[in-house]
Amino acid sequence: MVNEMMRDVDKYTALNSYIHRFDPRAKIISFISLIFSVVFLSDIRTTALCLAVSLVLLIISKIPLRFTLRKLMFPSVFIIFIFIALSLTVPGEALFRFYIITVTYEGLYEGVLIVLRAFSALILAFLLVSTTRFDDIIKALNSLRFPKPLTQILMLSYRYAFVFSDEIERMLTAMQARGFRMEAKMHSLKAIGKALGMLFVRCSERSERVYEAMLSRGYSSEIKTLSNFNMRAVDYVLCMLFLLFAVFLHW
Amino acid sequence: MSHKGDKKEYAVVVRNLSFRYSNQDANVLESVNLDIKRGEKVAIVGPNGAGKTTLLLNINGILRGYEGYIEIFGRRIDGRRSRKEIVRDVGMVFQDPDDQLFMPTVFDDVAFGPLNLGLSEDEVRTRVKEALRMLHIEDYEDKNPHRLSFGERKKIALATVLAMKPRILLLDEPTANLDPRSRSELISILKWLNESNDFTMIIATHDVNAIPDIADRVFVLNRRIIAEGTPREIFSDAELMEKTNLEVPDVMKLFELLRCFGFNCDELPLSIDDAVEALTKIIETSDGRHIHLHIHEHTHHGVERLRERWKYEHHL
Ligand SMILES: Nc1ncnc2c1ncn2[C@@H]1O[C@H](COP(=O)(O)OP(=O)(O)OP(=O)(O)O)[C@@H](O)[C@H]1O
Ligand SMILES: [Mg+2]
Repeated sequence: MVNEMMRDVDKYTALNSYIHRFDPRAKIISFISLIFSVVFLSDIRTTALCLAVSLVLLIISKIPLRFTLRKLMFPSVFIIFIFIALSLTVPGEALFRFYIITVTYEGLYEGVLIVLRAFSALILAFLLVSTTRFDDIIKALNSLRFPKPLTQILMLSYRYAFVFSDEIERMLTAMQARGFRMEAKMHSLKAIGKALGMLFVRCSERSERVYEAMLSRGYSSEIKTLSNFNMRAVDYVLCMLFLLFAVFLHW
Repeated sequence: MSHKGDKKEYAVVVRNLSFRYSNQDANVLESVNLDIKRGEKVAIVGPNGAGKTTLLLNINGILRGYEGYIEIFGRRIDGRRSRKEIVRDVGMVFQDPDDQLFMPTVFDDVAFGPLNLGLSEDEVRTRVKEALRMLHIEDYEDKNPHRLSFGERKKIALATVLAMKPRILLLDEPTANLDPRSRSELISILKWLNESNDFTMIIATHDVNAIPDIADRVFVLNRRIIAEGTPREIFSDAELMEKTNLEVPDVMKLFELLRCFGFNCDELPLSIDDAVEALTKIIETSDGRHIHLHIHEHTHHGVERLRERWKYEHHL
């Protein structure tokens, strides 16, 4: 599953668009501040404006629409679920009734607001990770003085999420090859429990060996990287514009 | 224990090394002694669980709490103080490349070691280029290790270590799990490294066929060092082979079989290169410039005996 969602988020990082060429550091600052700005908005129209801007950015980025839809499907379902829940549960002036279900004006307003906010933030975050190579994100975070332990964790998780999900897959295949079926039976559950335990042991042994391998290449509490970032005038200008826009939304 | 002469001559000296993992009761290594000269290429063989990996990790100064004495280029390794020196002098390629490659791109992974050595940015970049070029994998710089094949990852793991230019190279089963073509390629890389560099190599391996090509000396390990000698000495010792469950190289087996068919050579070739040399020599010195094979009564008997010795027959 992790594999499915993560395997190709960076499939289109090699495209060439204004968003792709945007310096990773400036891009991170711009997008993150915009995301922060939008999640605190409480006016529907400004939020809609922000969503429109995100969509325009998405078009500029040249990321294929189908790819975007596929990647955003899972979180979208989640957002829509929240929308339904909100519009049905927030008390207030009833808009219409349907047996025991009451849709209120306040509920609908809250719901729409949440949907707009969530989609804007989601699209912006998606744009950030799908137009920037993962190693550039890490290096940018490093050069922005992001806390080192956090960037290290991100870096290692990125690599080993793949390794571990492969390991899980292999284990499941091996179990199925010997007639295991996923069923709600005591026998099945026990097998899964044991497999999970085994997986935990394997992971912790692996982490020990990874650490040893890092030590043997001179690791001491810091992962050093080289980057060739190069802020151009246009990056500064773009970044300023993003920041101004983020503040302007709250005016 | 270290005389002045030793300092120049020996790359690795191990004396009475014993080691036990904290969660186990018995020693994994028991009074191990090794003397490895500068520039020497040695192989360490032994069954699964013999302690080969553990020994390499000890020489690399990674495991704490060993008993005994380990010396790298005449300097004893103990605790934190010499960690930096060990990292500079000794490089280790791990058994599983997934343990070694942890960065998002190949470039970052290969650059990781040199950066830790405190080299300048330019120097790091040239070292990465050089290491990747040596192994013919220049195009992989921006790739994510996850999308590469096992053989490719193995080569990159080797590159990450070569980029640090160690004087001693420890290799843990470099040819294991490779397809035949990748295996041959890796062996030729190791042979090439052997010839073109003056570093010392210690290779833990099960691949007896590769040993004559890549090592001058063999240590047989099973918790302790059981035997030591040139590949020829080790593989010619039938009793040792039997006792330690080791096998001799296929080429050697083949020529031993040929002996039963009347082929006459005093020294059994160990590798393909050896075989070419031996055949050439024998044919050139024989009368009719050809070799002569035959079947006598003793041939079947001899073949049977060999098949039994090599466990090609299974008896209930
Ligand atoms: N991290 C560890 N913790 C506890 N015991 C270990 C650890 N690593 C290895 N061992 C044990 O130490 C013994 C020697 O292991 P080691 O990995 O050194 O053998 P090896 O010769 O490399 O084997 P192989 O040929 O399978 O790679 C084994 O019995 C193993 O179970
Ligand atoms: Mg091992």
